[in-house]
Amino acid sequence: MDLTVGPAERVAVVGASGAGKSTLLAVANGAVPPSSGSVEVLGQDPAVLRGPALRRLRARVGTVHQHLELVGPLRVVHNVNAGRLGSWSAARAAWSLVRPQGLPEVLGALERVGLADRVFDRTDTLSGGQRQRVAVARLLLQDPELVLADEPASALDPVLAGRVLELLAGPASRDGALLAALHDPALALRHCDRVVGLSAGRVVLDAPAAALTVADLAAFYGAPA
Amino acid sequence: MTAVAARPVSPVLRRDRRRWGWGLAALVAVGWSLLAAVDGEVVNPAGSVQFGRFAAAALSPALDGAFLGVLGTAALVTVAYAVLGTVLALVLGAAGAVLVARTTWGRRRLGWAAARGVLAVPRGLHEAVWGLLLVNVLGLDPWVGVLAIGLPYGAVTAKVFADLLDEVPRGPYEALLAQGSGRTAAALYGLVPQAAGGLLSYAFYRLECAVRSAVVLGLIGAGGLGYQLSLSFASLRWPEVWTAVYALALLCLAADVAGRAVRRRVAAPRRGADVLSRDRVLTAAVAAALAGVVWSWWFLALSPASLVSARAREQAGYVLGAAWPPAADGDLLREVVRQSVVTVQTSVLAIAVATAGAVLVAGVAARPAGRSARGRRVAGSLLRAALLLVRAVPAPVWALVLLFVLLPGVLPGALALGVYTLGVLGRLAAEAVEEADARPRTALAALGARPSGGWLYGVAPQAAGPALAFALYRWEVVVRDTLLVGLLGAGGLGALLASRLAAFDWAAVTTVLLATVALTLAVDLVSDRARRALR
Amino acid sequence: MDRRSALRSGSPGVQPSRVQPSRVQPSRVQPSRRAFLAGTALALATAACGRSSPVGAASPAGATATMRIGAIPDQDPEVLQRLHGTVAESLSAALDLDVTYSPVTDYAAAVSLFRTGDLDLVWFGGLTGVQARLQAPGAQPIAQRDIDESFHSVFVVNAATGLAASDDLRPLAGLRFTYGSETSTSGRLMPAYFLQQAGVDPQGFPGGPGFSGSHDATIALVASGTYQAGVLNEQVWTSRSAEGSVDPAVVQYARTPGYHDYHWLLGPQAPPRFGGDVAERLTGYFTGLSADDPGDAAVLELFGAGSFVPARASDYDQIEEIGRSLGLVS
Repeated sequence: MDLTVGPAERVAVVGASGAGKSTLLAVANGAVPPSSGSVEVLGQDPAVLRGPALRRLRARVGTVHQHLELVGPLRVVHNVNAGRLGSWSAARAAWSLVRPQGLPEVLGALERVGLADRVFDRTDTLSGGQRQRVAVARLLLQDPELVLADEPASALDPVLAGRVLELLAGPASRDGALLAALHDPALALRHCDRVVGLSAGRVVLDAPAAALTVADLAAFYGAPA
Repeated sequence: MTAVAARPVSPVLRRDRRRWGWGLAALVAVGWSLLAAVDGEVVNPAGSVQFGRFAAAALSPALDGAFLGVLGTAALVTVAYAVLGTVLALVLGAAGAVLVARTTWGRRRLGWAAARGVLAVPRGLHEAVWGLLLVNVLGLDPWVGVLAIGLPYGAVTAKVFADLLDEVPRGPYEALLAQGSGRTAAALYGLVPQAAGGLLSYAFYRLECAVRSAVVLGLIGAGGLGYQLSLSFASLRWPEVWTAVYALALLCLAADVAGRAVRRRVAAPRRGADVLSRDRVLTAAVAAALAGVVWSWWFLALSPASLVSARAREQAGYVLGAAWPPAADGDLLREVVRQSVVTVQTSVLAIAVATAGAVLVAGVAARPAGRSARGRRVAGSLLRAALLLVRAVPAPVWALVLLFVLLPGVLPGALALGVYTLGVLGRLAAEAVEEADARPRTALAALGARPSGGWLYGVAPQAAGPALAFALYRWEVVVRDTLLVGLLGAGGLGALLASRLAAFDWAAVTTVLLATVALTLAVDLVSDRARRALR
Repeated sequence: MDRRSALRSGSPGVQPSRVQPSRVQPSRVQPSRRAFLAGTALALATAACGRSSPVGAASPAGATATMRIGAIPDQDPEVLQRLHGTVAESLSAALDLDVTYSPVTDYAAAVSLFRTGDLDLVWFGGLTGVQARLQAPGAQPIAQRDIDESFHSVFVVNAATGLAASDDLRPLAGLRFTYGSETSTSGRLMPAYFLQQAGVDPQGFPGGPGFSGSHDATIALVASGTYQAGVLNEQVWTSRSAEGSVDPAVVQYARTPGYHDYHWLLGPQAPPRFGGDVAERLTGYFTGLSADDPGDAAVLELFGAGSFVPARASDYDQIEEIGRSLGLVS
C-alpha cells in the first residue's frame, strides 16, 4: 500500500469489512507498527520516536475510534477533557478529576455537538449516538492537525452525521488533514475531497470525490473484490 | 443544522450526594479510629533489632532435611483440609445462594432479609472459633477442620454467589421467562452462564483462603502447616517460621495458578471442530478436583458416622447446656460494648491501611495487557510475590513482630491486620485493574497522554468501583480477624473472647459471640449500602 | 476414682457407647434414609479402611484400646511435639499398650479434648490441669517433674528502666507489663497472685497487661522495650540465659516463691479401658524413668526433667483457689 495524504485534504477510506480500514488508521496514529515498510506522520516516523517526543507527535494526531474507547464510569466532562491530556501535567490531570479544569472550553466543544446539557452526566448513561458525539467533542478539545476517524457517524442520524463530519473536517480547512473510514457513500462524497477504496489491504481505488457517484461506491461495498 | 444548534446552557456540577456522604463518613471513621490509636507515643525504635531478626530470617529459612520432611507431611494435611473445606463451602454456597438471591425472593423482601440474616450467624464466627466449638462437640476428629472451614466459608460463598447472580444483566433471564421457561431452567440458561467466570474465579479464591485458614486451624490441633508454624512461632524460631510461610505461599500460588489456567480456558474456549469437543485442560481440572476430594477424604480418614454419633450429640448437649442462656451481667455487657468499639476502630484502621496500600500497588502488581518493558514485568512479578508472602504470614505473627517496633495499643493490631489484608486486597485490586478494559488507556496514549494521565483517566475510574467494593467486602472479614490480634495489647472483642474461652466461661462466650455476630451483621449492612452508592 | 463414680457424676467424658447403649437408638428413622446412611458409611469406611487419620484419633469406641496422649509444653514446644514418637514408644513398650500422640497447641482445646475423652493422658500445666480435672471429674494426677514440686517464675525488666533486682514487686506497677499465655500457670496465674500479694493490681498496669503468648515472646517484647517488664517461667529463663540467646537489655528483677506446676493427668475413662491399675502403672513408669538409661534419658530430656515424682491432687489446691479468685476457674 502506498498512500500519501497532503495538507488540507479530506480523504474518505471505504471498503468492505475486513478490508483494512481500521488497520490503516491504527498504523497512521502509531498504535500499530507497520509489519513492513514505513509510515510518516506529520513529517515524523512514530516507530522511531520514544517518550515525550512520541507524546508530542501523538498530541497532534486526533482519533475517533470505532469503539470510541470512552471510560464509562467517568463523567462526560472528564472524558472530553481527556483530549487535553497530551498537554496537561500529571498534577493538573489529577486535580481536574476533583475540580474540572477549563470548563468553558469543554462546554464549547459539547455545544458544537449538541450535548452541553449532559456535561456532568456519567458517560455510561448516554446512548450510543451521544457517546459518539462525546468522542468528537474530546477530539475538538484536543485540536489536532491530523484527524483520524473510524466510522465517526455510524450511530447518528443523517443531520447529526453531516454536522459531525463538518466538525472533523475543521482542521483540514486550516492546512490539517482528515482521514475517515466511512461506510455511507453519500457522506463520503459530500464531505471529502478524495476517496480511497481498500480491498484485502490494498488500495484499489483512489479518485477525487467529484469524479465518483454514490452508485460507484455502493458497488464497492456490495461485492468485495 | 438548527436541530443541533445548542441553546446556551449552564449546567451545574452536581456532586453525587450519597457518594460524598459516604466518603465523608469514611474519613470521619478513619480519623476517629486514628485518634483512638495514636495516643501519645506510638513508635518504639529500640525494637527494630527484634524486628530485624524476624525480617533477616526471611533470607535464611530453615532447610534441614528433617524439618522439611515434617513440613512436607504437614503440607499434605493442610491441602486435604483446604480441598474438603472448599468443596463443602461450594456445595453449601451453591445451595445457600438460591436461598438468599433476590432472584429467588423477588419482591418478598422480608423473606429475603430473614434468609440473609440467618447466614450472618455462621459467617460472623471466625474459623478458629468454629474450630474450638467443634472440638468441644466432635473431639479429635478430622471433621473439625473440614467443618470449621466449610461452614463459615459456605455462608460467605452463598452470599457472594447470590450477589454475583443478582448482578448479571437480567435481560436474557427475563426473555426466557417470557417464552415460558421455568425459573430454574431460565436461571441455568440466562443467569449462570453470565456469572460463570465470576463464580469460578471466586471458587479458586476460596481455595486459596482455605489454605490460609487451615493454618489458623492448626492452632487447635487440626495439624498441618499451621500447627508446625505455631510451634516454631511459640519459640520465636524465625528461620523455621519462614520455611513454613514459604511452604504456605507455594500452596497459595499453586491454587492461584490453577485458578488462572482454568478461568482462562473457560473465558476463551478453544475453537474445536464441528463436534462439541471437550477441552482437555478443563477435563483434567475436573478429574484432578475429584481425585483431590477422594484423596483428601482417604488421607484424613473421614467417617460420616462420627458426625451423627451419640457422643457428638451428648457433647453438643453439654456445650449448649453450659452456653445457654448467655451471660447478661452488667459488667460483662459494659465490657462487650467497650470492646466492640475497639474492634470497630481496629477494623476501620486496618481496612483503611489495606485499601490505601492496595491502591498504591494495584497498578504495578497487575499483569500488563499487552507488550511491556522488561523492567515493568520484573517489578510486577516481584510485587505480586511480595503480596503473596505478606498474606502467607499469619496475622498473629504480624501482630507480634509489629509490636516489637510499636508501643502496645490498637495501632499494632490494626497495622498487623492491615498489612495482612493488604496482601489479599492488593491482589484483588490488581485483578480489577487487569479486568478493566485496556482500550480507553490505549486511546489516551494515542492522543499523547502521559502514562499517569492514561492511568488516571483510562484505568482508575474503571477499577476504582470493583476495588472499593472488594475493600468493603473485606472489612467484614477484618472485623472477624480482629480475634487473631486482640491479645497483644490491642484488645477488642477477640481479647475478651479469648479470656472467656480460657476460663471456660461458656455463658460469657455466648454473649461475646452474639455481639460478634451482631457487629458482623451491622458491618455487612453498612458496607452493602456503601457498595450500592458506589455502583 | 472408678467407673461408677464417673457415672454418678454424669461426666460427659464417659464413653457413651459403653454406658448408654439404649439412648443411641433413633426413635424413628425412615428405612430408606437409614439404608442410605449405612451404605454411605460403609463405602467411606471401606475407603478409609486400614488408615487412621494423621490428625485425629480413631473412634473412641474402637475395638483395640489405644491410649491417646498429648502435651502442651511451655518450653520449646516444637522439640517435644516433633519428637513425640520417642515418648509414645517408650510408654507403649513399658505398659504394653498402643499409644498414640495427638498434636494440640492450644490450652483450651487440650482441656476440651480431655473432657470429651479424646485424650486419655495429658501433660498439663498447673492451671490447665485444675481446669481439666473440674471438667472431667475423676481425672487423677499421675506424676510431676522433680522441678515441678517447687517451680518458680521470674520477673524481668528492660535495663532502660534502671530497676535493680529486688524482692519488692511494687515498682513494676507503673511499667508497661506483659504476661505470657493467658492460661499459663508460670507466665500468668502465679505471677498475678504474687503481684496481688505485694499490693499490685495484676490487671492494672498502664494500658492494661499484655499477653505475649509464649515465654520466648515475653523475653523478646521486654528486650524490644515495647513492654518494660514481664514475667516468665524460670526454666525457660535459665535455659535461654545459659544458651546466651537473651538480649542483654533484659535483666532479672525478682523470683517468685515456689509452687506446683506441670503434671501428667489421666482421664476418668482410662481405668475402665486400660484396667483399674493403669494409674499406678503409669505412675510407676514415670517415676521409674532413670537418667542412667539412654532410652529413659531421651524422654526426660524432652521434658526438661531430672526425674519424675508422684503427684497428688492436693498439690494443686492453691492453684485452684487462685484461679477462682482471678476468674480463670469457674
